[in-house]
Amino acid sequence: MSVRPKEFILTLEGVNKRFDGFKAITDLNFYMDVGELRIIIGPNGAGKSTMMDIITGRTRPDTGKVEFEKDTDLTRLNEYQINRLGIGRKFQTPSVYVGHTVFQNILLSLKGTRSVFSAIFHRVSSSDRDRIQTVLETVGLGAKADWKAGALSHGQKQWLEIGMLLAQDPKLLLVDEPAAGMSDEETAKTGELLLSLEGKHSVVVIEHDMAFVRQLGRKVTVLHQGTVLCEGSVDQVQNDERVIEVYLGRKKKDKT
Amino acid sequence: MTYRAWLKSLRSAPWMCWISTMLLLSGLARAAETPPAQPADSVIRSRLAKAVLAEGDEQKKEILSLAATGSKVVREVLNAWPKDRILLFAGENDTKIPALIEDETDSDGKARAVRIDTGAFLSDASGKPLKFAAADITTAETDSDLRRTLQQGLDAMALADPIPDARKTAILKLGNSQKLQNLPLLRDRLAIESNAEVRKAINESIALLQLGDPDPAVQKEAVIQLGKLEAIGSLDLLKKIVAKESTPSDIRREATSSIQSIENHIGVVNFVGTIFRGLSLGSILLIVALGLAITFGLMGVINMAHGEMIAIGAYTTYVVQNLFGTGFAFSITLPFSFGGKPIGFGLSLPGLNATGAFYESYFLVAIPLSFLMAALAGLVIERVVIRFLYRRPLESLLATWGVSLVMQQLFRMVFGANNVQVSSPSWLLGHFNLSDVLFGYNRVFVIGFAIFIVLGTYMLLTRTPLGLLIRAVMQNRDMASCIGVRTQRVNQLTFAFGSGLAGLAGAFLSQIGNVGPSLGQSYIVDAFMTVVVGGVGSIVGTVCSAIGIGTADQILQQATGSPVTGKIVVLVAIILFLQWRPGGLFSIRSRSLD
Amino acid sequence: MRTDSKRLETWLTLAGGFLLIVLLPALNVLPLPEFLKVSDFTINLYGKYLCYAILAISVDVLWGYTGLLSLGQALFFTLGGYMMGMYLMRMIGTLGQYHQPIPDFLVFLGWSKLPPFWQPFDSFAFAMLMALVLPGALATLFGFLAFRSRIRGVYFSILTQALTYGACLLFFRNSLLMGGNNGFTDFKFILGHDLRSAGTQRGLYIATAITLMLVLVGCRWLSRTKFGLVQQAIRDSENRVLFSGYAAAHYKLFVFVLCALVASIGGVLYVPQVGIINPSEMGTEKSLEAVVWVAVGGRGTLVGPILGAFGVNALKSWATRAYPDLWLIFLGVMFVLVTVFMPRGLVGIPDQLRELAARFQKRKTDAEPPVTGIEPDKSLP
Repeated sequence: MSVRPKEFILTLEGVNKRFDGFKAITDLNFYMDVGELRIIIGPNGAGKSTMMDIITGRTRPDTGKVEFEKDTDLTRLNEYQINRLGIGRKFQTPSVYVGHTVFQNILLSLKGTRSVFSAIFHRVSSSDRDRIQTVLETVGLGAKADWKAGALSHGQKQWLEIGMLLAQDPKLLLVDEPAAGMSDEETAKTGELLLSLEGKHSVVVIEHDMAFVRQLGRKVTVLHQGTVLCEGSVDQVQNDERVIEVYLGRKKKDKT
Repeated sequence: MTYRAWLKSLRSAPWMCWISTMLLLSGLARAAETPPAQPADSVIRSRLAKAVLAEGDEQKKEILSLAATGSKVVREVLNAWPKDRILLFAGENDTKIPALIEDETDSDGKARAVRIDTGAFLSDASGKPLKFAAADITTAETDSDLRRTLQQGLDAMALADPIPDARKTAILKLGNSQKLQNLPLLRDRLAIESNAEVRKAINESIALLQLGDPDPAVQKEAVIQLGKLEAIGSLDLLKKIVAKESTPSDIRREATSSIQSIENHIGVVNFVGTIFRGLSLGSILLIVALGLAITFGLMGVINMAHGEMIAIGAYTTYVVQNLFGTGFAFSITLPFSFGGKPIGFGLSLPGLNATGAFYESYFLVAIPLSFLMAALAGLVIERVVIRFLYRRPLESLLATWGVSLVMQQLFRMVFGANNVQVSSPSWLLGHFNLSDVLFGYNRVFVIGFAIFIVLGTYMLLTRTPLGLLIRAVMQNRDMASCIGVRTQRVNQLTFAFGSGLAGLAGAFLSQIGNVGPSLGQSYIVDAFMTVVVGGVGSIVGTVCSAIGIGTADQILQQATGSPVTGKIVVLVAIILFLQWRPGGLFSIRSRSLD
Repeated sequence: MRTDSKRLETWLTLAGGFLLIVLLPALNVLPLPEFLKVSDFTINLYGKYLCYAILAISVDVLWGYTGLLSLGQALFFTLGGYMMGMYLMRMIGTLGQYHQPIPDFLVFLGWSKLPPFWQPFDSFAFAMLMALVLPGALATLFGFLAFRSRIRGVYFSILTQALTYGACLLFFRNSLLMGGNNGFTDFKFILGHDLRSAGTQRGLYIATAITLMLVLVGCRWLSRTKFGLVQQAIRDSENRVLFSGYAAAHYKLFVFVLCALVASIGGVLYVPQVGIINPSEMGTEKSLEAVVWVAVGGRGTLVGPILGAFGVNALKSWATRAYPDLWLIFLGVMFVLVTVFMPRGLVGIPDQLRELAARFQKRKTDAEPPVTGIEPDKSLP
């Protein structure tokens, strides 16, 4: 499989991670093409969030290879270094700066230098403003630039966070349950937004909501007990015996 | 349900008493080594009176024989004799009545005298005790020969003292006397001595004396013997022998090797002593920190008033002690007045005026009470302050600091700004000696108690329904609340338990150091560090870190020669340690984003 | 409306600055009727409060703006004070008790000549340099270690407390040659001026007031730069900051060192005005006291700490005289009440009252018509 490594934006090979005896990730292999939109599903505790943590430098894997683009080893970098490479992450629970305005939230996420001294002497240029306004329009918060982020609704916070990711203009976006807490209409809009990113950015979406996964309609990776159970289209995955057993079966039970 | 669980946890109290009682009994057993059967007091007295008046070798023989009885009155007389305090009172028919002049003199410089033969005061016809001035009385005379005999008698008596430690002291004193004539005394004692510790001291003393023997063969033998005995007290003498030019080379060689082995022994003794002190310090830290580990680690509440909970325990011990003694009273006058009268309040409790073993048992009562009082205070603080701050840990730190200020001031108002006196029961005083390492009973007790408390806490947390509830609430307050756990009540009880442990720590600290209003402050920083190093929320971690920090502290104190430098080095080491393991020794790694 | 409040703030700052820097000294020095006059004692007292206010700002920039509750600010304050103290000790010359050319306590410890590290402190400039270098270096070292290993929240507080405790123990030692538990006192001159004269004290007061204003303006400016935004973002969501590519540790280190310097400058100005410095000033309770001022005044604002430092200390000056036994109880109870019921402090009271009034009104209007529809989600952070 690793014959053409140049094509992959993200490579995980033989990754293992234990927490106090609990195997969170077991021999995980995961490959993603440049510009691809990939969906990851899996029951609770399947290791989805741990996988995100490993990619973004929050957790170091015990063993295994985690590479970005051609040959950047992510296991030796920390969060902000990995982010500066062009990997953005949206958390499951919206994580925005509640004390700042929506505008300031995006401002802090704009692509640019991140050093202490440049921050002290930074001035907001008109191109910055334009860029921020564009991003805010994209995520539908154009009219709320002066609002305190803490005053936004849950769904709006989710979008703000997606906006903050877009402002960074990352090569790879990791999006954890973007549709949680959104109305159907908002969910549909989020889906469109993510699909529009495809090609320009590589996107990983973790999702529980199968309707949403269906809407996205892209390649699905099923995680189970910290390892890849199967990969394929939504239909393939939904008809896979093992998946039905471990995931959809439980999903149905959850719903009732 | 939670209450029943709580009661269950209190089952620990009887064990506590049981352990203490065992220690008490072992203490009593020590005192019960009785001397061999003696002639009746009156017989001794009349023989003694005769001996004072006797003369020559007969007198000396009788004195030594009397000394062998070990009687108290004999010792008094032998001590008083050379000091001219044995009065020869002119009685009827030209008899002389020997009497012992009392130490105590009245305003005229006169003192009463006790008849040696009867033990009664010398008195006039009406039965009123007579008083004598030192200037105008005849005393029993002594010459240098007699004085030597008296000293010999006293030495022999000291060697026969029923308390082994006293025997040992007397033996070592003789050993260091450098007088060869003391040898027979020691040899006689060796023949009948059964205590191993004392036997070792006798052997050591004999060898010490033999160092001064003119015969080089005996000297050499003594040097070798001292090396074998690892006699620390002989080090200086041996060094002198090595330094002396006239020492024969073979003796010098043996002395050098003996010095070597003694110094090795000193190294071992110091090391073991340091480790032991480290363990006991660690145990204190542990008892102090365990309460914190629960309130801070499990509940996420920073209780800066934890130190004052310790003080509550210590002051409870103080009050209980006074209640067993003469009683306890305090009064406070506030600087306000109402209708012209100053407002104040006070309390006065009568004491039991107990003495002896009953008085000393106050500590057994104080232990559970200090737990209860501190737990009660914890309960109140939890209700009044902390329950508002469960989700704001930084602010709980600040608010409880306010509480700690208030409590410190209350202590000052009730108990005064100065330290109060807490006396230790006799069974916590003293020490035992194991191959030259001194083990203080209070330190041994603290170590034992720490073990007991840790086990108790562990059992409470893992084996009782309350423990299950505590752990459930600590892991997920909301979920626990959803499944019907009364989280408020669990919080209350947990906090009270943590505070109670601090109170227990206070009861012990009162036996080791000073009890004052700022007692808690001196332990709080160390306690926090212990919890942080151990890994927040981990009891095992707290145990390891307390013992580690305690031992490191003592070793560094020994190495740097200064308690402050040692402490600073420990603090720096802790900061560096946290570089390596930010979560502490036993961190509970969480997979969730905070 | 936002620009209005900004303008009001500017005006208030200017007015406060004028009052402190110009008006009070003028009332002290001008020949005025008795009731208008500000006494030398008051000037000296206020000078002390101003130093406390500088310390309080340093606590607040760390705590209120960055979420780092440092219990070590009194240490930096005292370190600055000690550096100034060393210079002032040298200025005593031979006027000490022993009439020796070295400080009395050194004579007492058996020294006959100055230890080498004391020698450069004859120079005022060197002492001032050290007042920046020493706390700065300590803060850099400690901050680097602490932030590198991601020590935060309560752990950071406990570690800074331990640092302060360790330093306190160290300064109590005579062998450090820093005066042991008596510290430094009996100062005579500063830059050739007699410290006991009202004029010198007034000068020091004005210098302190100007410094406070500069610190205030500087911190306000900083809080409004992008740096300030990152700083507050760290307080609200450190993870987001990290995952946005900011090295949060660098930012925290910068703020920590900056605040150490600010606190140290406060200490430098404090010592000549109170005339004594000793290790008890760096006890952890002193750091906590400074936190009380900030909490009472209102953290996360820059006026709050100044208000708090003045308010609490004025109360303390009064209460320690009127109710010496009860003062600590006042302080403790006040602290508990403020933390539990007034988390935003004095500055936040208008807001709190407004919220209360709004809630009260809503309850009134809610009570009349039956509740219709669902309440909008107003979940606060």
